[in-house]
Amino acid sequence: MTRFRSPSDLPPGDRTRLGHLLLALADNKRLLGIRYSDWILGAPSVEAGIACSAMSQDEWGHGRIVYSMLKDFDHDPRQLEFLREADGYLNSEVVDSEAPTWPDLIALNLLWDTALSVQFDVLAEGSYEPLHHKSRKLLQEERYHFDHAVGWSERLMTGSGGEAALAGACGAIWNSCIRWFGESDDPLISPLADLGLVPRPRVTRARWLARVGPVAGLLGLAVESGEVESDEEGQWVGAPELHWEGWSASRRRRQDGGPDEDSLARVRGDRNRVLVADA
Amino acid sequence: MNLDPLLAETLGERPPLPPPPEEAESRPGLAGRAWRALYEVADPELPLSIADLGLVREVTVNEHTGLAFLQLTFTATACPCMDFIEWDIRKRLLQEDGIEQIEIEVVWDPPWTASCISERGREILGGFGVAA
Repeated sequence: MTRFRSPSDLPPGDRTRLGHLLLALADNKRLLGIRYSDWILGAPSVEAGIACSAMSQDEWGHGRIVYSMLKDFDHDPRQLEFLREADGYLNSEVVDSEAPTWPDLIALNLLWDTALSVQFDVLAEGSYEPLHHKSRKLLQEERYHFDHAVGWSERLMTGSGGEAALAGACGAIWNSCIRWFGESDDPLISPLADLGLVPRPRVTRARWLARVGPVAGLLGLAVESGEVESDEEGQWVGAPELHWEGWSASRRRRQDGGPDEDSLARVRGDRNRVLVADA
Repeated sequence: MNLDPLLAETLGERPPLPPPPEEAESRPGLAGRAWRALYEVADPELPLSIADLGLVREVTVNEHTGLAFLQLTFTATACPCMDFIEWDIRKRLLQEDGIEQIEIEVVWDPPWTASCISERGREILGGFGVAA
């Protein structure tokens, strides 16, 4: 497999595509950080609030690393950071607005945060070498996010009403998460897979299912949805029928919408950016 | 504007950092002086230099141009002290004769873990009741 040491080693179209995928990851990291921060105050316990604070910081740190890579992909960091409107963001609809309840946040923690980690995982194993170096620290920090998600899922499943609430919360974002890896002929991912930068969508999706499937299965979610199943060896695998209505492969999300007004202002730092001398 | 006296008065003096260890003393040239100077740059949160904390990965200095190049890592990707540490490095290194400019590259591989702290750094932390 050819190894790529810098963006300039990539064919131009693929450089653009990889930059686009990285921008989607960076936007999702930044928005997910905001979603965790929404619950620093108001989490079920002080410890849970502190965990949200730590995870929020981590996500912003990860976003910062990925945004900083994008200048090598012909993006203007200032334009990306401060000057985009909502419809220019490539974040999933699941982080457009605040998670309304604690189980909704844990669903994001379990399903969406893991989806992003799995995408970084496979990029770190792919043929674009700068991502190997940048991803290791990020993935080290993400282990604790998954621990947090599984721990809280168990806790909610044993509490009164928690299991149904978590199942409902996971169900609400399940389709957005499972389809994020793309269709089999995804126009962004397939050419990158041809170069060994990432695996095929079904492979990445299967890796995500292997992580979240056991918890989703306990909730009765995966099996009931008919979208995933456990094979004879107990591996979680994708079934062919996913729901693609409204999906935009270029925006890596539902076609319409974007971060809500408050989230957008926070992402861009609108309110206080004027106070920063070098902004 | 130098607000160091205000910080010292308000927060108290930080415990003094130990001098550079023997292996740093033996590093030659301007890069060696730069390394030693980094033992005087304190981590904002811990009573250790950034060198003993294991944040400094590489230091080279072009003796003709005076450009010092550092590879630096941080304990976490969202370390809130990144800017402060970089400012302190620049401030200290520019005091060295022959160093005119600083370039800092942030690196993440290998990821920082507690094993990056020097042996004497662990002893210092132990003295403050922190196990690393």
